Amino acid sequence: MPTALFYIGRSGLTASRASLELTAQNVANAANPDYARRTLGQSELVMSASIGLNSSNSLGGVRIGGIERAGSALVQRQARDSASALANASAEYSAMREAETALENSGLFDNLIDFEAALARLESDPLNPALRVSALETARQLAATFGTADNALGNARLLTVSEAEADLLSVRGFADELARVNQDLVAAQEGTASKAALLDQRDAALRGLAEQIGIVPSFNANGTVDVTLSGSPPAALVQGGSAIGFDLSVAPDGTLSFEVDGQPYVPMSGAMAGRAAALGAIASLQTQLDGIAVSTVSLVNAAQGTGVAADGTPGQPIFAGTAAADITIVLGSGAGIATATAGAPAGSRDTTNLGGLITALGNSTGPTASVDALLLGLSSRVAGLDSQREGLGIVAASAEAELLRETGVDLDEEAANLVRLQQAFEANGRVIQVASEIFDVLLGLR
Amino acid sequence: MSFVNTATGTFYNRSLSQMSELRGNIERLQTQIATGKRLERGSDDPAAAAQLRQLARREILSTADASNAASVDQDLTSATTELAAVTNLLQRARELALGAASDTSGAAGREAIAFEIEQLGEELFARANAEGPGGEPLFAGLAAGPAFTRDGTGAVTYTGTTQSLSVPVGQGTEIERGLDGAQLFEFDVAGSPSNAFAVLRGLADALRGGTPDPSASASAAIEGIDAALTTVNRGQTILGARLAWVETVRQEQLDRSVAIAERRSEVGDTQIGDAIAKLQQSMTALEASQAAFTRVSSLTLFNAL
Repeated sequence: MPTALFYIGRSGLTASRASLELTAQNVANAANPDYARRTLGQSELVMSASIGLNSSNSLGGVRIGGIERAGSALVQRQARDSASALANASAEYSAMREAETALENSGLFDNLIDFEAALARLESDPLNPALRVSALETARQLAATFGTADNALGNARLLTVSEAEADLLSVRGFADELARVNQDLVAAQEGTASKAALLDQRDAALRGLAEQIGIVPSFNANGTVDVTLSGSPPAALVQGGSAIGFDLSVAPDGTLSFEVDGQPYVPMSGAMAGRAAALGAIASLQTQLDGIAVSTVSLVNAAQGTGVAADGTPGQPIFAGTAAADITIVLGSGAGIATATAGAPAGSRDTTNLGGLITALGNSTGPTASVDALLLGLSSRVAGLDSQREGLGIVAASAEAELLRETGVDLDEEAANLVRLQQAFEANGRVIQVASEIFDVLLGLR
Repeated sequence: MSFVNTATGTFYNRSLSQMSELRGNIERLQTQIATGKRLERGSDDPAAAAQLRQLARREILSTADASNAASVDQDLTSATTELAAVTNLLQRARELALGAASDTSGAAGREAIAFEIEQLGEELFARANAEGPGGEPLFAGLAAGPAFTRDGTGAVTYTGTTQSLSVPVGQGTEIERGLDGAQLFEFDVAGSPSNAFAVLRGLADALRGGTPDPSASASAAIEGIDAALTTVNRGQTILGARLAWVETVRQEQLDRSVAIAERRSEVGDTQIGDAIAKLQQSMTALEASQAAFTRVSSLTLFNAL
């Protein structure tokens, strides 16, 4: 039956045009990171019924199938998990780096040495008013520096807390989006472009969510996903079409605590976990800084107590304060620095007491050594996080490359497809032309 | 037939990350060259940063030690100058006493000698209470006030302490910054304690007729003046030895500070030659990868269509 040729040609034309459209779509989305390339499913169309003279081997051309979306659950998962681990290390690194900058730039260590040096100079001429004033002023500067260091650490903490609070909104946003996509996916028809677009949205939201907080998704046959947060205890965040409440609260010392559906929860990876770890570390840094401040205050004041001032009266405290933030100078003048040992007369040049203070400040348990140890610990941790972050960055980059290889658009391949499909289109057109000529031959018979 | 798909995005991502890493390298090297510091922050090299902190501490404390040593040096030099003047003064007093003892001078001559000796006594008192460059008494030990005071009867007593201030000058070394007046001006004459002031005053009084035989008293006073000269000379020797010690210590401090600076530079400074060579290498690599990027990215089948 010659008319079959028309149908075969027409179905070929339709199929190649649909494929061309899909190729154009792929090319257009080549730079879209959330897009997974599509291919058109096709199958042969054969009529199997036999009526009258028609044979049962009647050919019908090609049938257009559904739109197939490239994708691999395993590769997606690798990309998600590695991005999650990288975000964890990066968030912790950048917060700890802020803390390091805060402590290093406050100049606390330098000021402690300056204080030691000013006291050492005073030893050469203990009654010299200029040297006494200079020692007292370095002490004042030291007190201010403790405040600066504490303040700078506080700023680093606030910055990280506000980042965590912004992240909280995006976690909720992703959870809501996943719930909405799940609802839409239930209604979407298999093989349609809209279903493929929804799956793209789903994977993009999962990737975004994984960067914020570690997740374990479980996929259902219809494409919907249920999301469990990895951590202790594992907690469901998205179940079908509903997102479960996720919340965080900030303690006064800046440490974070999380709640899912009202239950306490500790995240294991993602930027949230990194920030929580960094905030814990910063809180401990502040405690240590307060400890050093208090030990400096008590050490200096205790030394004052065992000596006498220039006028022979018992030494009075130099510092007051119970934390790094509130240290102040309470000694009125440089003459009050107790250089001489107790019992020495007014105007004594004895420096026994001063010598004791200098030794106490400089020894291995003194504030100078403590600040040095604090800085060494902090910078070692930052250096460790930096190399961890670099390593995870390489893993994440290769996982992403793998994902792109599986799902991304290769422009060369698409260009080749364009040529091939164009030829197919023309060939199908030729089939119709041939059919028409055959008809002409038949109609021209006399 | 199946092909391995190389997504176009992979190529761009990879090229971008490689080039940005090279750029980061170049910027880091450039900062190191511009600031001269190898470490921008402690985490660049925690161990080296800790070492730098220790070196900075030693450097600052050694500046304090150096200024302490300089101050001790000044005090000791001032004390030596004063003692040299005291020696001259005592020698002049001895000459005068010898002259008075020879008995050739009459009452008027003795009066003149007595007057001069009195003046010498005043000078001695002033020099014994001399102050150092910082305004602190040189010979009062640990006391803030004058070393010697004169009471209503004209008797001079030592009011300082018998201990001098020891100034730390680094590495556990302490140097006393002077000698106390008791050590310099007090001594025993014929078994009884006396001092240089009493000897001169006694001589002046005797010459003015305080004793029946002034010339005999003058010869007797020579013994006291000799004792005073011996004590001062001994003091000068001690101060001289201490000055030499301070000089040695200051030289050591200088050597040490050079050593610290060298170590600091070794640990924390950019090795300019290395850095420039590495910078050149990174720049060449960056230029090459930029060129390669433009060439490869223009290789698309679309150009052939």
